[in-house]
Amino acid sequence: MNWVAVALTEDVPPGVVIPSRIEDTDLAIWCTPSGRYHAWSDRCPHRGMRLSHGFVRGDTLACIYHGWQYNEEGACDYIPAHPKLTPPDTICVPTYTCTEAGGVIWVSLNKTDSALPALGGRKPVRSLPINLSANDLAAHFGAEDYTTIAVVSDHDVLIAVQPCTDNACMAHVLASPDKDRTTVSRWLEDLRATLEGMPS
Amino acid sequence: MTATIDNHWYPVAMISGIQAPRETLLLGKKITVGRERGTCWVKDASGNALPTVERFGHLWTSPGQPNRDLFTIPEADSPGRRLVDVGSVKVKCSPLRAVENFLDIAHFPFVHTDILGAEPHTEVDRYDVKIREEVDEVWATKVKFFQPQAAKSAEGGITTEYMYRVPAPTCSVLYKTCPPRPGEWDVITLFVQPLTDEWCEVWPWMALYDDDSTMSEMVSFQQLIFMQDRSILENQLPRKLPLDPGMEVPTQADMTSVAYRRWLKKIGYTYGAQLVAA
Ligand code: FES
Ligand SMILES: [Fe+2]
Repeated sequence: MNWVAVALTEDVPPGVVIPSRIEDTDLAIWCTPSGRYHAWSDRCPHRGMRLSHGFVRGDTLACIYHGWQYNEEGACDYIPAHPKLTPPDTICVPTYTCTEAGGVIWVSLNKTDSALPALGGRKPVRSLPINLSANDLAAHFGAEDYTTIAVVSDHDVLIAVQPCTDNACMAHVLASPDKDRTTVSRWLEDLRATLEGMPS
Repeated sequence: MTATIDNHWYPVAMISGIQAPRETLLLGKKITVGRERGTCWVKDASGNALPTVERFGHLWTSPGQPNRDLFTIPEADSPGRRLVDVGSVKVKCSPLRAVENFLDIAHFPFVHTDILGAEPHTEVDRYDVKIREEVDEVWATKVKFFQPQAAKSAEGGITTEYMYRVPAPTCSVLYKTCPPRPGEWDVITLFVQPLTDEWCEVWPWMALYDDDSTMSEMVSFQQLIFMQDRSILENQLPRKLPLDPGMEVPTQADMTSVAYRRWLKKIGYTYGAQLVAA
């Protein structure tokens, strides 16, 4: 699996951290105050707390449980219980390749050389959770690869699908700038109602 | 289930709260708790009576054959204390995670912000921890921490001294500087009922010197604290407590937790524990 859309940039403004997941991998997605995105394992090495419940402080992500701070490389650089201690290099959070393009945050769980999906100038409309596996959603559109699906429809919509669990995925939807967002958004909700109502 | 786990005493109800017979879980098995003519009883799924002890305002039982009496807290018997039944909170985590969180002070500034701790007062000084072999309990002493509002009865920030005691695998007793009575200790306990290995019911109980606060003020203060802890406990991964080193990284501030994990391993208490790194 290569690039997977995990969120729209407008939903992760600078200084914010959110939870996300790609199949069995729980992720904390966060944005530094100056706008750099990171995708990390959502588990603090100290006592296992979800980092997505933490907070961004300067260019670090801090865990909500004991305030340990991790720099942009995922290395722990401050332990509040021991302010004078330089934490050993061994304390670090697993990080994943993460970048922003076209208003979408993309993550690759493996090292990758592949190009980011082409969006054809479309702009993000919204993200919508759907109770259907990513594969079932892709199959509905006759696609094999579910990471990006161009849907030819009245709205010229592109859906980037994020596989979450065996029966849930997230649809990140993009449309041409000249399309009306409200109309596209309503179309998407109708699509979801149809898909979720279908016997699988 | 091994005898090592079955033979302990577990809290299953607050005595003042027992009315009609109530079904609950203990170590993943159904039990029923009730009271007739002032006497509490507990039955297992086949209707057999289980042993009971009424102590600290709570009803205790055991699915096995306890080889020692339920622990005591002599300090709680001294006159003038108010005994506070806090009620219960169900938490989706291992019973052992709930106890370990109770033993931890380093989270105060971040989880109980402006109540039990506040930045920049985050440093945890070295304290003493040991497993007291003669009683087979874990003890941490000389634990000191700066607190903006240590108790309902505290006015303004003070450095609070604590002692922690683990007298049973799912129970902990905290002795804490008592703001109105220097030289005495307030007693706050955490009794944990293991519903399953990833779900527990927490029964806090307190024996405090506090002549000013109303009962409901003391209860709500403690409930607020536990609600804050629950938001942590339900979001730790894995839900079970890793007993083998390697999966989580402790520091000097975690000496109590390290001793607790080592002691659980020594006595073979593995219910709610994760033994191999996943
Ligand atoms: S669990 Fe994250 S700082 Fe302790
Ligand atoms: Fe706490």
